[in-house]
Amino acid sequence: MKRLNIYILILLIWSLLPFLWQLVTSFSTTEAILEPFSFTGNHWTLDNYSQLLTANPPFWQYLINSTIVGCSSTFITLVLAIPAAYSLSKSNTKTQSLFKIIFLATALFPYVLLFLALLELARYFDLGNNLFALALPYAGLSLPIAILLLLSAFNDLPKDIEEAAKIEGMNLVQLLRWILIPLIAPATASTALIIFIFSWNEYPIALTWISQSDKLTLPVAIARIAGSSVYSVPYGAYAAATVLGSIPLILLVLIFQKGIVSGLTQGAVKG
Amino acid sequence: MNIFYLLPALTLITITFGLPIIRYFWISFHASSLLTGLEYIPNYGSNWLRIIGDDRFWRDTIQTLRFTGVSVSIELIIAILIALLLNQKLRGRGVIRAISFLPWALPTAVMALGWRWIFNSPYGPIDQLLNLFGFASLNILSEPRLSWIGTVLADVWKTSPFISLILLAGLQTIPNDLYEAFILEGGTKRQAFFRITLPLLEPYILVSLLFRVAQAFGVFDLIQVMTGGGPAGSTESLAGYAYLNAMRFLDFGYSATIIVFSFIVLILVCLIGWITISNSKRILSS
Repeated sequence: MKRLNIYILILLIWSLLPFLWQLVTSFSTTEAILEPFSFTGNHWTLDNYSQLLTANPPFWQYLINSTIVGCSSTFITLVLAIPAAYSLSKSNTKTQSLFKIIFLATALFPYVLLFLALLELARYFDLGNNLFALALPYAGLSLPIAILLLLSAFNDLPKDIEEAAKIEGMNLVQLLRWILIPLIAPATASTALIIFIFSWNEYPIALTWISQSDKLTLPVAIARIAGSSVYSVPYGAYAAATVLGSIPLILLVLIFQKGIVSGLTQGAVKG
Repeated sequence: MNIFYLLPALTLITITFGLPIIRYFWISFHASSLLTGLEYIPNYGSNWLRIIGDDRFWRDTIQTLRFTGVSVSIELIIAILIALLLNQKLRGRGVIRAISFLPWALPTAVMALGWRWIFNSPYGPIDQLLNLFGFASLNILSEPRLSWIGTVLADVWKTSPFISLILLAGLQTIPNDLYEAFILEGGTKRQAFFRITLPLLEPYILVSLLFRVAQAFGVFDLIQVMTGGGPAGSTESLAGYAYLNAMRFLDFGYSATIIVFSFIVLILVCLIGWITISNSKRILSS
């Protein structure tokens, strides 16, 4: 039992240390950042945070932008994926396994390589610098894995429920609205979380689609703070940005960790 | 099956995945750069001839394969250990699991900068501690022979939780009775791991390997932000080279050719991996 605790401690330190270092840096004065292990003089400050919040555009703008992109891409993905997964779950095994293979192959695809063609599409349809438009490629990229996860949730439902509902005279919309969607809510929640995290964190497409500084998403904005000068990265401000940008994700993971484990793995592996 | 429920999703997937891939093949047979005024002019495969003689492309291919092979192997081992640990009955298991998944949930681009700060010389904690105890600075990210190890370490930290997540679900499908019976028969815990856990986890391991190899092969954010491909191009990945050609040199024709070539290399790698695994299984079982 003692040894187990030591392993757990190592795991926690390993997982948290890089982030904790950011936390320490974010509250350090410039002098303290240059000499992190000498605790003489003025070590702690809130300047890095106030600098971020008074910058132009203020930092919370990026949080809002990322939230808009995250929520709209999650919404679009679910609206398209739930009916698709439902109709696949009603089809015969052959069709189902064909689509499963297609979706698995697309989900595996290193999407970074798509940036050039997606940028062309953005230019052609004039979709650049538009947060809602950015949600479209995110939804497209998330759809295969979302359909796979939801499909296995639909397949796990007992068949009788639906027949009972049909006898009650429910039509398909009612069936979905009152019976099926509530039943697959746990799988939907974990799928939504995975899409949200992907959209919140996505970098290469956001980097090429958005150039206006008040429309940047969080990862691009933070990378830009750090890239403002190659030789003297303002690490205090950058670290503060990391901390602020991570808080929503930390909360999400803490609240939904149980759902992530069961939801993510159920479908991904069976598929 | 009602095709109309499937159609909107399929359309969007085709636009984001299907069209680009076809488009890349088409562009790779055209010249499109500042010289052509960004018009697409057919150049009958000269992009393809250029790539075969492009030393930088082959160096990046080898670097990408090295990065993928080394980081995915380390990740798999660490992930198995983490998953075994998280599968134990622990107090506060929920919080411990959440914390161990955290690296996976944080933005790659952001934490890549965090790692760049950790490896910073001379102000980062690693070099500061080394100096404090009288050792010379390592300066990992400025040393062409070491820098890729720095990127591997950051990648291992970031993505081991992803694999352990999948393996953890796999572990939960193994009934406890199996272990109890095995121990009753006189087996040791170590034997139980190799005879029960590992074989039953195999499909989960394969799926996560497939995912990780494909993702690691397309590595971009991490390297772009940590080292920018440097020093001296020692960490540049194929995706980074394609990005550089498109966005910096504005040579879209060549960039698309690099991307198509990357697809081909990735498919070959997966095929070779697949054949090796099924062959070794046959040898082991015979």
